[in-house]
Amino acid sequence: MNPNLPRLPGNLLDRRRFLGDIGTGLSSIALAHILGRQGLLGANVSGKEPFRPDIDPGRPYAPRTPPLAAKARNVLVIFCSGACSHLDTFDYKPELVRRHGQPMPGQEKLVTFQGEQGALARSPWEFKPRGQSGKMVSDLVPHLAALADDLCFIHSMQGKTNTHGPGENFMSTGQTLDGFPSLGAWVAYALGSEDQSLPAYVAIPDPRGKPQNSVNNWAPGFLPAAFQGTDFNARNPIRNLAPPGSVAGDRDAATRAFLQRLNEGHAARFPGDGDLAARIASYQLAARMQLAVPGVADLSSEPAHILRLYGADEGGSHILDTRAAYARNCILARRLVEKGVRFVQLFNGAYQTGGEGVSNWDGHKDLLNQYSVHGPVLDKPTAGLLIDLKQRGLLDETLVVWCTEFGRMPTFQKGSKGRDHNPAGFTCWLAGAGVRKGFSHGATDDFGYKAVQDVVSVHDFHATILHLLGLDHERLTYYHNGLERRLTDVHGEVVRPVLA
Amino acid sequence: MKRGTSLLDVLTACHVARRVAAAAVVGLAAMTALGGEAPAPHWAFQPVRRPDVPAASAGIPPIDAFVRARLDAARIAPSPEAPRSVLIRRMYLVMLGVPPTPEEVAAFVGDAAPDAYERLVERVLEDRRLGERWARHWLDVVRFAESNGFETNRERLTAWRYRDYVIAAFNQDKPFDEFVREQVAGDVLNAPVATGFLVGGPVDIVKSPDPALTAQQRADELDDMVATTGTAFLGLTLGCARCHAHKFDPITQSEYHGMAALLSGVQHGERDLPPTPDRAAHLAATDARIRGLEATLARYVAKETEAPAASPANARPPVDFARNEETFAPVAARYVRFTILASSGGEPCLDELEAWAGERNVALASNGSRATASGTLAGHAIHQLAHVNDGKTGNEHSWISNEPGRGWIQVEFPRTETIQRIVWGRDRGGAFKDRLATRYKIEVATETNRWQRVAGSAERAPFPGASHVPTTPTYELAGVPEAEAGEARRAIEDLGLARKERARIAAADKAYTGTFTQPGETRRFHRGDPLQPRESVAPATLSLFQPLALDPKAPEQERRMALARWLASATNPLTARVIVNRVWQHHFGTGLVDTPNDLGRNGARPTHPELLDWLASELVAEGWSLKKLHRRILLSATWRQSSAPQPAAQRIDAASRLLWRFPPRRLEAEAIRDGVLAISGNLDPTPGGPGFYLHDVDRENVYHYHPKERFGPAESRRMVYAFKVRMEQDAIFGSFDCPDGSLVTPRRSMSTTPLQALNLFNSRFILDQAGLFAARIEREAGPGPSDRVRRAWALAYQRPPTEPELRDGEAFASAHGTAALCRAILNSSEILFIP
Repeated sequence: MNPNLPRLPGNLLDRRRFLGDIGTGLSSIALAHILGRQGLLGANVSGKEPFRPDIDPGRPYAPRTPPLAAKARNVLVIFCSGACSHLDTFDYKPELVRRHGQPMPGQEKLVTFQGEQGALARSPWEFKPRGQSGKMVSDLVPHLAALADDLCFIHSMQGKTNTHGPGENFMSTGQTLDGFPSLGAWVAYALGSEDQSLPAYVAIPDPRGKPQNSVNNWAPGFLPAAFQGTDFNARNPIRNLAPPGSVAGDRDAATRAFLQRLNEGHAARFPGDGDLAARIASYQLAARMQLAVPGVADLSSEPAHILRLYGADEGGSHILDTRAAYARNCILARRLVEKGVRFVQLFNGAYQTGGEGVSNWDGHKDLLNQYSVHGPVLDKPTAGLLIDLKQRGLLDETLVVWCTEFGRMPTFQKGSKGRDHNPAGFTCWLAGAGVRKGFSHGATDDFGYKAVQDVVSVHDFHATILHLLGLDHERLTYYHNGLERRLTDVHGEVVRPVLA
Repeated sequence: MKRGTSLLDVLTACHVARRVAAAAVVGLAAMTALGGEAPAPHWAFQPVRRPDVPAASAGIPPIDAFVRARLDAARIAPSPEAPRSVLIRRMYLVMLGVPPTPEEVAAFVGDAAPDAYERLVERVLEDRRLGERWARHWLDVVRFAESNGFETNRERLTAWRYRDYVIAAFNQDKPFDEFVREQVAGDVLNAPVATGFLVGGPVDIVKSPDPALTAQQRADELDDMVATTGTAFLGLTLGCARCHAHKFDPITQSEYHGMAALLSGVQHGERDLPPTPDRAAHLAATDARIRGLEATLARYVAKETEAPAASPANARPPVDFARNEETFAPVAARYVRFTILASSGGEPCLDELEAWAGERNVALASNGSRATASGTLAGHAIHQLAHVNDGKTGNEHSWISNEPGRGWIQVEFPRTETIQRIVWGRDRGGAFKDRLATRYKIEVATETNRWQRVAGSAERAPFPGASHVPTTPTYELAGVPEAEAGEARRAIEDLGLARKERARIAAADKAYTGTFTQPGETRRFHRGDPLQPRESVAPATLSLFQPLALDPKAPEQERRMALARWLASATNPLTARVIVNRVWQHHFGTGLVDTPNDLGRNGARPTHPELLDWLASELVAEGWSLKKLHRRILLSATWRQSSAPQPAAQRIDAASRLLWRFPPRRLEAEAIRDGVLAISGNLDPTPGGPGFYLHDVDRENVYHYHPKERFGPAESRRMVYAFKVRMEQDAIFGSFDCPDGSLVTPRRSMSTTPLQALNLFNSRFILDQAGLFAARIEREAGPGPSDRVRRAWALAYQRPPTEPELRDGEAFASAHGTAALCRAILNSSEILFIP
């Protein structure tokens, strides 16, 4: 018996072709029949049948129904690049205030990413109780603090690397190494999109540049390239979205029509070839995108009160200009969500200009001054985005995920006024579809150094996001290089307490 | 493991393995059906035994005999031979990665000789573009790229040598076993560049004092090497045994670590390459010339060394970085010369040279004085000869010599002056503590060549730091008759040039091929965690086949040689099967085993197991020649079949795995770009050397790569020569599933996306190429509109247009121009497909 078992090969085989494969005499039709009847075809070792999205090569972004009941229809990730300190934003530690200036007990000899540690250091920003929940949030982010009753905090996040590149890889792809598909690519692969004129997955880089790990954060990895994140923001449009000005509009249309005739003539010689049909369809989708994307990226129709809500209407200083530029990205994110784009990944912070701590959250040396820029840039626009999503009813079907690659140390680095990297404990939060409101899950120790209560791994975090989308992280797999790969590798448990 | 003891649980939860589990289930079903026999040993771990060619098909090529046997069993008829115009296009695209020219097509289509096809095959096998095409496939398998990846993603400027090595290996038909051995131990086998394989993968260069991070980084580096060695050569997912015994193949965690111990002396980095014979000869000749010139000039070697005073007690203070003053009895001078004989390191620097006559600094340019120098370090606006007497001091207004440890400055006054004091410094700003003249002398003259020493370092206490004294002599021509001095000066100049030439030749070529150091003990890491080392593991190959164990202290090189020999052994059951399968895959789109990096139990079974083994045994018997394998495949009727669909066959075998036709498929990113350039007549065939850039690079701590918007002739070479950056893609062709070398890619995805359409339809690159294509047509075609359409079709598709295409093309081109026609053609499906 030589069963040549089906797999998802390089091209997007549809179910029809996949079944055709089985019947080639490579294995007997009878066997396939038996396996199919027993539900064993494609069983995986977790004992669960893999979810294999039925992808029409001609319509890769067609919406696909998740196998389980979904709470969220789409996802908006807000990624603070550079490792945003939980201790200066959302994780309140009275003990840190009390022991300010003392060494961290039991960790006097600790060596972290950049070296030795100095004393425990309280946050330069006051924490205050907020809203009905009384959640303690710092004054660094007052607008977000005001929304504490809508947020679902996970204070016990734990990573496994203390370098930015692997850390961003881990948060965005579930692997510390380069080359794996991003969360958004997995979701676009599984679910397609609600809109057929826009990419299924859009990454919005910070106005200051790309994050530390650049396109790895929205890469397709070994998934088909159709599911990669398309990156553009309010300032930089999709590359090659439109021809250079030299091509006249009517000529453009005529060329497109002529091309379609060429391609149809060619496809007619290979009847039934899905790849050729897909190519024709891809030009039609591209033409729709060419019309739709400038529309969605054009913020000129946004009224003054919306611009004000996000802080997109103020400028004149470095902070305000940067904030306004990020705010425009936030508005773009809302417009994409509104259109039904399945996965939007919005970045706050960039490595491109200035490096360490200057244009991102990597506050090693001068936390007070650097975060005094980053806090305001993040705060009002992000809060505006949440408010706007909520008032439009979009928060009911959109899962908002706020994350960063890891946390920072409760101590200041020896001889400096900033915090070193700390993957042992940090905070992320969720909001919107399917998650509890004004809720906090898990905790770090008294100083905020290590997650100690209800520890949530990045894999758990991913499993939870997939779960909310109606996807079982153990069933969403793709064969690559000898392995049936998962976003969550061989780990991950859904964090049930955060579910509404 | 969370559940009980069902079959599925026994297989356990490593990387969820549908295939494996399903295979096991099928195995179980089969076993049950057959009455519970033990499962057979895994086919790929058995020695390759040459199967008999099916007898029923005597007289036809063996490949066809094996393929026909399967087709007959499935009751499918093979397809007829494809037309010649299709065959030549297919052959060029598959073998060379570029389309043939219309002239090559015409010659082949019109060739009446009975061996026309065979001669085409021979010609193509000797075409050097073959190496460029097939190297790209191998580079995918070995995750080759030219940047480090991770967040810094810095360039590896000498990694291209490995890419050129692979191209040359395929063109020279280097026996594959040799190719394997060289990539593991090329430093021993006179192929030093080949070990670029070992360190081809990404590496995190962000280091930290944190020992846990450092251990993890090293473990990841080594795992990349071990896992890639496993998949590339053996088609085995060795990496699965890093944390626990392999779930499907007989590989224990200790065996993984034994393999790791074989490679644990390999570090990322560049290595000096030994000089080539040419270079050695050039070096010897240049040395002889230098010795000759030195002999000629021996009589002019300066006697004076200006060594510091032997008894520092009554000496002047040592030289100072900021400011030094020399006083002497008043002397008549038209010229003053400051000769540097040693520096505190590097090329010496003077910020100002002052010569005082009473209260006047007569050296100032504003006084009419003129400065000359032995030479000035090029490329720095703040370091200029004119700065030495401009009255401004400090590093920002200084002169730097162009030679380490020496140089001279001479100032000529407009008239003879009586001077008594010289003041000089390196940086009177006090910031720079380098490049100080530590040995020097100051001379004056009323006419050149009559120099009189007035001061120098010999009267000073020794400089407290290190001094860089040039190893070559300084020549002194004072007092030499002018004619002779002229000769000598020319000889000095020649000597300088010869030394530079020597330095250029002698600077070893470097290549990113790894460095090798004797490794320490290898320990098994519990659960793959480098912070949980367990028992010691000796370097050893897998027990799967003729295991080889080395002494735990075996020398580094010996380890890799042992691994190399074991991998490339003729009796290794995997190596030949794996490469035969890869070659087959790149001919037909899918391998005989469609999991090319996994021939283990978790992999797919071959569609034609006997054919695979027959080809593998043939490969070894024929000296591991890949060109012979290509020839066999190309001459088969199976390869020459039409790709036209056949509904009856498609109903049974939609994916054409049984090869009732040649399966048509889309080209990869590189071949699409190369093809566009070839069609527009703009492809630069220059082979080899450093890659061209598709990006502009910001070289900060973290490197950023911005896609170029405009392309010129420099970017018109084949894409295999593009500098291969991890994480970033070519802005146009990257969307055609082009891998970035972060992971191995045994088989590329072939997706179709709207971004591909946007990139081809709207990018400036394609519009530019459409313009060049149009100009080419207008140049090469006859004057009529139909001539142009015919020429366009011949160049792009290697066929004449159909009647409707001709009419449509003519009408479209006359309404919108030839460039618009060409833009549509460069976007059309037909140019992207292997027919």
